[in-house]
Amino acid sequence: MLVIKDLTKTYSSGVQALRGVSLDLPAGVFGLLGPNGSGKTTLMKIVATLLEPDSGTVEMNGADLITRKVHTRRMLGYLPQDFGLYPTLTAWQMLDYLAKLKGVTNKKERHALIDVLLDKVNLSAERTQRLEGFSGGMRQRLGIAQALIGEPQLIIVDEPTAGLDPEERLRFHNLISESASENTVVILSTHIVSDVANLCSHMAIIRKGNIISTCTPRQAVDQLKGSVWEGTVPREQLAAFKSEFNVISSRTFDGQARVRVISKDQRPSEALAEATPVLEDYYFDLVNRQDQ
Amino acid sequence: MRNLCHTPFAAVFTNEVLLNAKRVAPYVLMALFAANAVLWWGWGPAVANGWATNSDFYIQRNTGAFSFILGLPIFTAILMGDIVVRDFRVGVDPLIFSKPVGKASYLLGKFLGSFFVLVCCYSVFAFTLFLLQCVPFSGMVVQPVRVVPYFKHFLIIVVISHLSLATIYFAAGTLTRNAKVVYGLAACYYPVYITVLLLVLIKLPKIFRVLFDPMGAEKAGPVITVNPWNQSADVLNKYVVSYSFDQYANRASQIILSSLLLLLVYFRFRIDPMEQKSESFTMLTLSEAPKRIAYTAPSYGPFDAPIDAAPAREQIPLPKVTSTKGRATTRFQIITALGVDFRLLRAERSLIVLAPLVMLLSFLSVPFSRIPVEISYSVTSATGTANMLLLFLACAIVFYTGEAMHRDRELKTEPVIWSTPSSNSVLLLSKWLAMTLLSLALVLAGGLTTIVTQVIRGYTPVDVSAYLIINGVVVAPSVVFLTSFVVLLNVLLRSKYLVYVIAVSTGAGLIYLYNLGYKHWSYNPLLYQLWKYEDLTGSTMLAYRLYCLALAAACLVLAHVLFERRA
Repeated sequence: MLVIKDLTKTYSSGVQALRGVSLDLPAGVFGLLGPNGSGKTTLMKIVATLLEPDSGTVEMNGADLITRKVHTRRMLGYLPQDFGLYPTLTAWQMLDYLAKLKGVTNKKERHALIDVLLDKVNLSAERTQRLEGFSGGMRQRLGIAQALIGEPQLIIVDEPTAGLDPEERLRFHNLISESASENTVVILSTHIVSDVANLCSHMAIIRKGNIISTCTPRQAVDQLKGSVWEGTVPREQLAAFKSEFNVISSRTFDGQARVRVISKDQRPSEALAEATPVLEDYYFDLVNRQDQ
Repeated sequence: MRNLCHTPFAAVFTNEVLLNAKRVAPYVLMALFAANAVLWWGWGPAVANGWATNSDFYIQRNTGAFSFILGLPIFTAILMGDIVVRDFRVGVDPLIFSKPVGKASYLLGKFLGSFFVLVCCYSVFAFTLFLLQCVPFSGMVVQPVRVVPYFKHFLIIVVISHLSLATIYFAAGTLTRNAKVVYGLAACYYPVYITVLLLVLIKLPKIFRVLFDPMGAEKAGPVITVNPWNQSADVLNKYVVSYSFDQYANRASQIILSSLLLLLVYFRFRIDPMEQKSESFTMLTLSEAPKRIAYTAPSYGPFDAPIDAAPAREQIPLPKVTSTKGRATTRFQIITALGVDFRLLRAERSLIVLAPLVMLLSFLSVPFSRIPVEISYSVTSATGTANMLLLFLACAIVFYTGEAMHRDRELKTEPVIWSTPSSNSVLLLSKWLAMTLLSLALVLAGGLTTIVTQVIRGYTPVDVSAYLIINGVVVAPSVVFLTSFVVLLNVLLRSKYLVYVIAVSTGAGLIYLYNLGYKHWSYNPLLYQLWKYEDLTGSTMLAYRLYCLALAAACLVLAHVLFERRA
């Protein structure tokens, strides 16, 4: 559905944010995973028509999103990573304003939509409250609600779960799952691996402006079956252990270090037992290998 | 002994200088002041009157005019008003205050660092004049090269006057943590200062005039020492300016008052966040409890943990909506955005000051005593109000349009609003309309105040048509042009501070040119000094006004073409 080809972007400061990014995104929730500063937000902004790429194309069902900006904005729902709200408006007024800007001119339809959206993000009770009194989590929820206005076919959510408590995070996951349909692409940009594991049918990992992997979360985990080992080693041996093996995580407590190691050929140590691989293992393994 | 260069004060001071060195405003100001010095040197009254351009009298006269006339009090506000607010705005305050920096070191370092930059900017004027001694024009009287008068008058008139102003702005900005309060003060500066000077200080005993005249423009101050118009050029060229005891006392009092104000800032300044409204916890939410708390162990938990069945109310589908497009939708969106802009403008606290100020100025523009008038009292009063309002509104339009145009960026709503399919005309025209209507409302308030004042003072009969004609033909098209021009400037420059500087310097430059006699209608769309009441209903005036409106339309079209939704 959404095809990104050879996208490059270098900022005037000389920072090369994207270096020929190409992706093919099917309908459903697509996770874009990467550390801070990897180019996720730049990519999101380009797809959301808010930033011009130096070169490359973005097409959805054959339509060029970069040149046909108004067309793109009609089918877009965008939740930026860092956004603000008018402090003197109420939650309801803000959504009403944005719905009108999206072209929802029918009053009855608009009001019904806003009521349901506020209910879905659990802000019905605060509908008449001024936004200046909203907490970070409440603002984030309102941001999610506005991204769903007008039946968007392309939903871009950039670090959406930042600032949400566990209950709200679950609610958000449900909301995104509901919004994804066979005609909708949802791009979830995040550095929280569990968000991708729980939500996405497909994913890509971006690092230093390059896509270093594209697969499904299932494929990613399957690649590591029988290669992940976990156990405890004495704390003083940790440094030596790290230099010898591909340690993807270590946590120390009580004089011991709990380590997780990737070793494809053999069991690295008697102290380690085979563990069930998770998406974090794939991510850290890939990033470690890239660093090396 | 502790090295002063390694103290927190020195660190804050140098950092403040460094921060200012990376801003555009100081360099623009320096260029403006240097250009102004050249203008006053080569094309000022000295050449025509035979005054030596580096005589003590002329240096002092230029320095006094520079300090007061050229908008310096406003520039002082730009550089001094938000120096502490900036730290809170960019969120660096917790990083600074978690270090062992005392309040005194921080505040003094900030203040003196910025004031040092301010003085450097202003000194460009004196320094340029000093250098110009070596470049005499033909017909210009130049005495042997002088050094001390430039330094002396600059220090006594400019530095000390702006020290007290800088302290006032710094105190207002730091204690309220709101830069808009400072800009409001700066916008009110000229009318308030002139009113206080003419109506209050002049009636008070000398001691008050010495103590409470920050600019020293009153007789007790150092700005006016000699009246040149009843002296010969020869006398003036030999005249040595010496300040009286009162004048020195005035300057000393300003330094003392500034120090006391800084002391007050020290005692009142708090590093904790300003009090905000607490969230209301009284709402009863009848939502179902979640089935479970998710993510007890998100990391290294089971990879494919199933997503919980959504609570019943979350399964309600979003209602279908119809998105429309076309001209009717655009009109609808403009009206909506205009409504939002008005709501946001209503929250601007400075409007509470602005509207009464317009009314006060309109009240003052009606003659206090019965004077012989050319046509009628209504024409005289309406003309006075229109001239005053145009200058005042020009400043207000520059400030508020800048605020409105950049509000979305400052509040970070830009990405949300820009990602909607509304056209650029909605975003631009709503702000343009909001500013135009606000300005016209102020014109209406000013006009009504003048009429009421005229009635109260008994200058009847009131000729309403004179007000309608003057405001309709002169003021309204000028307001439309000014708003459109400032919208274009904001689109082009993308920085409201740059717009303030460019707009103020353009305005000052044009007024200077107009006062020199260059006031052709083609570059004088506000018809400054170019209209008389008798001409307002003629066809020539109609052509002028159509030209002004055409320029406004061109500015808007250009703004629309150049407007980019660039993150």
